[in-house]
Amino acid sequence: MSLVFQSLVLGVLMGGLYALLAAGLTLYFGVMRVVMIAHSAFLVLAAYLAWTFTVHTGLDPMLSLLVTVPLFFVLGVAVQRLLVARLRPATLTMMSVLLTFAVALAVEGALGFVFTGTHRRIPLSYSGARLELFGASVALVKLIAFGLAAVTLVGLHVLLKVTRFGQALRATMQHREAARLLGVDTDRVAGFGFGLGLATAAVGGTALALDSTIYPSLHWHWIGPLMAIIVVGGLGSVAGAAIAALLLGVGQNLLQIPLGTTWAQTFFYAALFVTLILRPQGFFGGRLAQRF
Amino acid sequence: MDIANGLRIGALGAAAALLVAGCFGGRPAESGAGGDGPIRIGVSLPLTGDFSEPGKGVQRGYEAWAKHVNDNGGLLGRQVELTILDDQSNADRVAADYEKLINSDGVDLVFGPFSTRLVIPAAQVARDYGFLFVEPAGAAAEVFNQGFDNLFYAAPAVAQDHYNHLAEAILAMPEATRPKTAAYAAMDDPFAQGTANGLKEKLAKAGVRTVVDEVYPPNTTDFGSIAAKIADSRADVVVGGTQYQDAVNLIVALRQLDYQPKLAAFSTAPTNPEFPKAIGAQTEGILSPTGYTPEADYPSNQEFVEFYTREHGTAPTEDEANAWTTGQVVAAAVDAAGCADPSNECQRKMIDWLHGNEVETVVGPLRWDGAGRPQGAHLIQQYVGGKIRIVLPADAKEAELVYPKPAW
Amino acid sequence: MRSASEKVVKSVGLIVLVAFVVVFPGIASDPFVLSVGVVIISYAVLATAWNFVGGFTGYISLGHAAYSGLGGYATGLLILRAEVNPWVALLLGGVVVAVLAVPVGIAALRVRGASFVIVSIALVLVLLLVFQSWESVTGGSDGLRVPRPFGPEVLRPEQHQRFFYLHAALLAVMLLCWWAIDRSRFGMGLKGIREDEDKARSLGVPTVRYKLAAFVVSAFFTALGGGLYALWFGFLDPIFQFSILVGSNMVLMSLLGGVRSLFGPLVGAVVVGYATEFFKAQYGDTQMHLVAMGVLLAAVVLFLPDGIIPAVRGLVARLRPKQASIREVTQEELAEEVRR
Repeated sequence: MSLVFQSLVLGVLMGGLYALLAAGLTLYFGVMRVVMIAHSAFLVLAAYLAWTFTVHTGLDPMLSLLVTVPLFFVLGVAVQRLLVARLRPATLTMMSVLLTFAVALAVEGALGFVFTGTHRRIPLSYSGARLELFGASVALVKLIAFGLAAVTLVGLHVLLKVTRFGQALRATMQHREAARLLGVDTDRVAGFGFGLGLATAAVGGTALALDSTIYPSLHWHWIGPLMAIIVVGGLGSVAGAAIAALLLGVGQNLLQIPLGTTWAQTFFYAALFVTLILRPQGFFGGRLAQRF
Repeated sequence: MDIANGLRIGALGAAAALLVAGCFGGRPAESGAGGDGPIRIGVSLPLTGDFSEPGKGVQRGYEAWAKHVNDNGGLLGRQVELTILDDQSNADRVAADYEKLINSDGVDLVFGPFSTRLVIPAAQVARDYGFLFVEPAGAAAEVFNQGFDNLFYAAPAVAQDHYNHLAEAILAMPEATRPKTAAYAAMDDPFAQGTANGLKEKLAKAGVRTVVDEVYPPNTTDFGSIAAKIADSRADVVVGGTQYQDAVNLIVALRQLDYQPKLAAFSTAPTNPEFPKAIGAQTEGILSPTGYTPEADYPSNQEFVEFYTREHGTAPTEDEANAWTTGQVVAAAVDAAGCADPSNECQRKMIDWLHGNEVETVVGPLRWDGAGRPQGAHLIQQYVGGKIRIVLPADAKEAELVYPKPAW
Repeated sequence: MRSASEKVVKSVGLIVLVAFVVVFPGIASDPFVLSVGVVIISYAVLATAWNFVGGFTGYISLGHAAYSGLGGYATGLLILRAEVNPWVALLLGGVVVAVLAVPVGIAALRVRGASFVIVSIALVLVLLLVFQSWESVTGGSDGLRVPRPFGPEVLRPEQHQRFFYLHAALLAVMLLCWWAIDRSRFGMGLKGIREDEDKARSLGVPTVRYKLAAFVVSAFFTALGGGLYALWFGFLDPIFQFSILVGSNMVLMSLLGGVRSLFGPLVGAVVVGYATEFFKAQYGDTQMHLVAMGVLLAAVVLFLPDGIIPAVRGLVARLRPKQASIREVTQEELAEEVRR
């Protein structure tokens, strides 16, 4: 019983991080219909920046966010403006996958070149600290990571719902042409959408680096589950992605008890295939996904 | 269509032919059939990619060995020269590399690569060309089940036997304090899993109940659930069939759940100098099998440690020692055969000699069975007072085994 | 109708290509060069197989390593567990994979664009997990050693030579198939799907069946390519078989050469295969080869989305004296031009 509860807690904590990262992917898809394969490569890049920051300054890795979040926002805008926007609209979805895949390879190669293949882990004084929660043991670092993800997601939600920019962004996501006719500068909004998406990778990477070793080829490990989450959630739906992330995260952790680690990982893919057969537009998304 | 497909293809074909002829077609270097030229030794190592960390250690060991040999008059009076290629931690590449070393570069001898997953494809190439293949890593059972008669593993024991001394020590404990239950977590890698399985079989046979037996894929970084299972089982012993990052993550995850075993053993990771940096002060009492200790008093070892420390400023670790051992084994075979050339006759002479003889190395005297398995066991080390100490077997120990282990 | 002289030139080119393939093992300076030749022609086989779905329908699969890996494992397991003759096992393996590709194709082709690519990646990742864990059948992470189809008296260089010709024969069969499909109603329908799927459907093309057929043919040939490579290489390890990089190599090669051209993937494979060896020789000890591959792929996607062959064709057309008349442009190409 306590093991089940423990796994449930772990699953929710992990689902939070998945939700944050999936939110980024959803933004790219929403504004440009782009499946951004390089998202998790940037995640690992952010983790490496956090590691470098802590090793050189001795300060807490979370302070690196002050640098990486704006930096990644700018990088995201640059990726959209300089690369994605140059693709032909007719083949955009397919070609953008290849293009961002190429970016992922280049990022991984560059990380390997600069940081070597050595597995790194941020030395933290509180890495083993824990809190007791109704009989479950919760690691402080996991709680911080979850907190970072939650705060960012709430911030993103407020930004999308309340601000003028958020309205423009949502309008662009729903119908680009219509938004343009209403006077929204959709190109600019798309660029900012990419920037915001990549900024979530910066937060996620730092959260990841708190409680895990990092190495350049780590991003392959994240691509699969994240892709499964956005399809199950419904491409283009931020809320759908968050729900799917939590459900799949919890499901994976619970399945690990009877099935073991390896088979539990296939849960993501099983969910993906089932979704495509039963409901290709995703379980929690809008009508948007149907056409893609 | 404004130009015929065929013309373009023809031109491309011709261009490709020129390129191939121009760039690949370099004559094989004069193979040193006798003569006074250097003995050329080919190696392929994972210098980039997932196995690059230990790969670089092996490279340092090989290079130190070559320098040491050359400083001391060479092999058969000839200098040795290493050709090291990077296989990018990829099986297709490792085979192509040995193909290149043997055919294009015309090396006289080859040394083995790193990692079990790369040893089998590489050994196949060496065998097809009749080359002696001594390798520094590749201890998993199936390396020796492939019918390679040219292969020799240059370390004291195969993966299954790494924990033998620990198993004996546990079984020799008095009934009252002896651990009753054990939890195993192993990476899905032939070597790492082999070490844990070897211990599991021996302990299970003696009545230590297996309460958790987890296998995880090599790329796993989240160990929360595995740790939860182990903590929930309250096993007396936790055994990790680990490499490096997985052991670090698993230990941190176990500590986060406040799981305190009486005995904790992990393969490979604790022998890595990075390990204490990643774990901090909580290394106390952690056990690990090791094939090597710089303190060992084998005659050639003191020479090795002295030479290596002079060159690099730090004492060698297991990876460097295994590479050096490989060099020593091949050198012994060369000396005994009186030749070092790629001919089948010379390679066969060396292979036959190694099957029948013992070689003195930095990890002790080594001898092999017909499939190339070394006939020894690993030492068991433990962090005692913040330092790595050999605690088993009794005749090699530098400190007493600490049991039960202090809390982490 | 094309002029007689062009027909002559075309046949000469084809003869030169065939002649080069035939004499290559003879002029290769040593077995290493020959083995690189086998690797490159194997990639040409895989890329051409990929192009049956990528080129005809425009659906880009990043996960074709799933089919080459399955082909390799099917061949190896049939030989080891069922003691089937290696060549029969190779063919059977291809058939098994083609059958497996039917449900996968149905699931994947229901969705267009983004989801299709996601499924193709997911398939590779899930197969990696399954083949890694299902040790009793697949050998798991220990790998699977595939016995050689030739006896011990056939030395390694001789093996390279035989496998080079075997790959060349498979490639020739595939090119013939491509050529035949290209000229058939089926091929026209597929190209219609590539250009505008909705329009093709409204014109009465049975898009689902056509896409599925192309997908299965592609999986079948990819599996044969994977099986043949497994027989040559002799060792299968899930992490190298089910690798996204292998699949992305097929895409890169096809795109670079030109997905609409019969010989595009072959040209791409030769260029990329050669460049890979070159990069490794020049910058071997760094991770820069990954960066180089990434940059190359990005450059192709951004600047040469139609590949080398059409680009060269365009260049030559501009340099040629103005003798080309409208008759030399086929109906189909004209339509394509207009559509752009």
